[in-house]
Amino acid sequence: MDLTFVRVIGLGNVLMGDDAAGPWVIEELLAGWVFPENVAILDVGTPGLDLTPYLANAQTVIVVDTVAAPDASPGEIRFYSRETLMATPWKPRLSPHDPGLSEALLALTLAGSEPDDVLLVGIVPGAIATGIGLTPAVRDAIPKAAREVLRFLELRGVSPIPRPNAFVSPWWEAGAGSDQRQNS
Amino acid sequence: MSKRIVIDPVTRIEGHLRIDCEVDGGKVQKAWSSGQMFRGIETILLGRDPRDAWMFTQRFCGVCTTVHAIASVRAVENALNLEIPINAQYIRNLIVMAHAMHDHIVHFYHLSALDWVDVVSALKADPAKASALAESLSAWPGNSRRELQAVQDKIKGFVEAGQLGIFTNGYWGHPAMKLPPEVNLLAVAHYLQALEYQRKVNQIVAILGGKTPNIQNLAVGGVANAINLDNESTLNMNKLYMVKDILDEMSAFIEQVYFVDVCAIAAMYPEWLDYGAGVTNYLAVPDLPLDTKGTKFDLPGGTIFNGDLATIREIKSFDDPYFKDNVTESIARSWYDGDWTKHPFEEDTVPKYTKFDDSKKYSWVKAPRFEGKVMQVGPLAQVLAGYALGHEPTKRWANKALETAGSLARMKLTPAVLHSTLGRHAARMIRTCVISETAKKHWQLLAENIGKGDTAIFNEPVFPKGEQRGFGFHEAPRGTLSHWIVIRDGKIANYQAVVPSTWNAGPRDEKNQPGPYEASLVGNPVANPELPLEVLRTIHSFDPCLACAVHTLDPEGREIARVKAL
Repeated sequence: MDLTFVRVIGLGNVLMGDDAAGPWVIEELLAGWVFPENVAILDVGTPGLDLTPYLANAQTVIVVDTVAAPDASPGEIRFYSRETLMATPWKPRLSPHDPGLSEALLALTLAGSEPDDVLLVGIVPGAIATGIGLTPAVRDAIPKAAREVLRFLELRGVSPIPRPNAFVSPWWEAGAGSDQRQNS
Repeated sequence: MSKRIVIDPVTRIEGHLRIDCEVDGGKVQKAWSSGQMFRGIETILLGRDPRDAWMFTQRFCGVCTTVHAIASVRAVENALNLEIPINAQYIRNLIVMAHAMHDHIVHFYHLSALDWVDVVSALKADPAKASALAESLSAWPGNSRRELQAVQDKIKGFVEAGQLGIFTNGYWGHPAMKLPPEVNLLAVAHYLQALEYQRKVNQIVAILGGKTPNIQNLAVGGVANAINLDNESTLNMNKLYMVKDILDEMSAFIEQVYFVDVCAIAAMYPEWLDYGAGVTNYLAVPDLPLDTKGTKFDLPGGTIFNGDLATIREIKSFDDPYFKDNVTESIARSWYDGDWTKHPFEEDTVPKYTKFDDSKKYSWVKAPRFEGKVMQVGPLAQVLAGYALGHEPTKRWANKALETAGSLARMKLTPAVLHSTLGRHAARMIRTCVISETAKKHWQLLAENIGKGDTAIFNEPVFPKGEQRGFGFHEAPRGTLSHWIVIRDGKIANYQAVVPSTWNAGPRDEKNQPGPYEASLVGNPVANPELPLEVLRTIHSFDPCLACAVHTLDPEGREIARVKAL
């Protein structure tokens, strides 16, 4: 049972260009700060509706993900409340694993184990295509998004301790042919 | 006059799976399945260290994470002819089984039950009658009148507040919805309870795998779970008993709730035991190895042709040439350069997009074939192969399910009804029952082996100069998954993953043979082309998974999917 009451959840596929933004922010946070034990900082990839276990029974959930915003430029950061997320119109699912944040929240609300407080920190992607690496605008947005997450955590009384000489280096960025092996 | 229906989830980044149907006389006459997104993620692996491949492959898909990790380490071990310690097999097997239980429960309750269950109709149910009905079928404690009343009140609140909108599959009140209100109420109650159980079983993956959803304990050559029964930070008695408790709780839910619900739905939609068979050639590989080499398994696998169980030919080991030599992929109808049919070791992935043209090329998915034949993979193939090979737990659970559903429907059901849309749901449930039982056995095997003092978990891989080729298969929840690797001087020179949804969702091939999705839709009824619920029922019964490679939320809510009746 995950007893953490505050969870920061990064969503996205690290093999698909700017879709890695969510997991990148998680790496940035873990590399730069020490968090209290009751705070979880999680990279959960692209779980679709399998997201529910990571949201259930939390007090506060901050989700970091790429977002499709028609009038925004790459690297822009936008915030969405639970109300906005829940108002997203229905879409028929052919493949049942489409992104499922609002569905997961609704299912948990029906089951009575929904988080009290939900916020989406959205990063507008530049390019999403097979391959590893962020576009410059999105790479610049990573520390900004991390700072926004920290600001929201502060408002909820969570104060992580900065690590000296923090250096962020996600395992998936180690190049092909490199001898650097990253394991567990 | 025939009508064309196109179901095409459109996203900012190209759609995922698109289904086109030609409907005439209320029935589908022809269908095309099209993967709308270029995968080709394998190219990221070229030049990398084969020991790292599994960490990348488990990011192929966010839902099927562990399965790509398992297939990848098996492929490298096969290339090196490397055996792994028996503890490592058992630990991997337990992760595989926990993942499968999780996946099947989520698929049935959270991803496809709403094709059959009308949530709003549950408001008309009498909770006392629903409770009495449930208690006549199952000893499950979660079916009390009070519990069901509470669920009904909750749905009422949601409907009154207009909040159910995004939850629905949009087909409430559809003429193809036939469950009585009491059964709908029970199904919604179990939908909510299933959320709790999918979370529980996930904890096994977290305890043994270090983390979910992306596990961290694998290594080419074994696992990284240090075993010391007296050490807090390693795999110890306390953690092993946590796993055991969860397995016991899971089997109660699976046998008393999931089993009963699927039998009840099959009994109330018996016509769906006639639709949706499509391709009746089946392929399943064996899994849950019981030795260090992968020659003895707890779940058998093999091939079946033309729906005839007597044609079963067993696949016997991790190195069986019957599997290795007979898999090919065709790009005749797929958006790649050329029109070849090749073995995975020889393939390349050179995209060449042309427009959707159902007489030429129309999909990003390749068309895998076995001995040149189209094969259906998934729980139905797993169960039929087990049945044909006389696998005792599979036969017992399959017979029990057919008897239970048959007595509810007051008809005699034989294994032949499994070749159908609802048969795929039934097979998935039968497989889950078998796995739940087998997981307890493997827990026992692991505990006993550690008890004997064996704590080995890892054999160091050694990469010789020159070229090695290997393949690793895994019978994943959605079916046969295989990874194919060519290693040159210790680096990855080629890598191909032939995934279950490729077998099932693939397009036609050079001989114009339709793939399993395409064939299964032919003859499906469609009452209203604007609301093709019946098409979704058959497609969902395969548990398609093509959408996972990319993920971008669309909270500003533009149109992101469409159903078009032309």
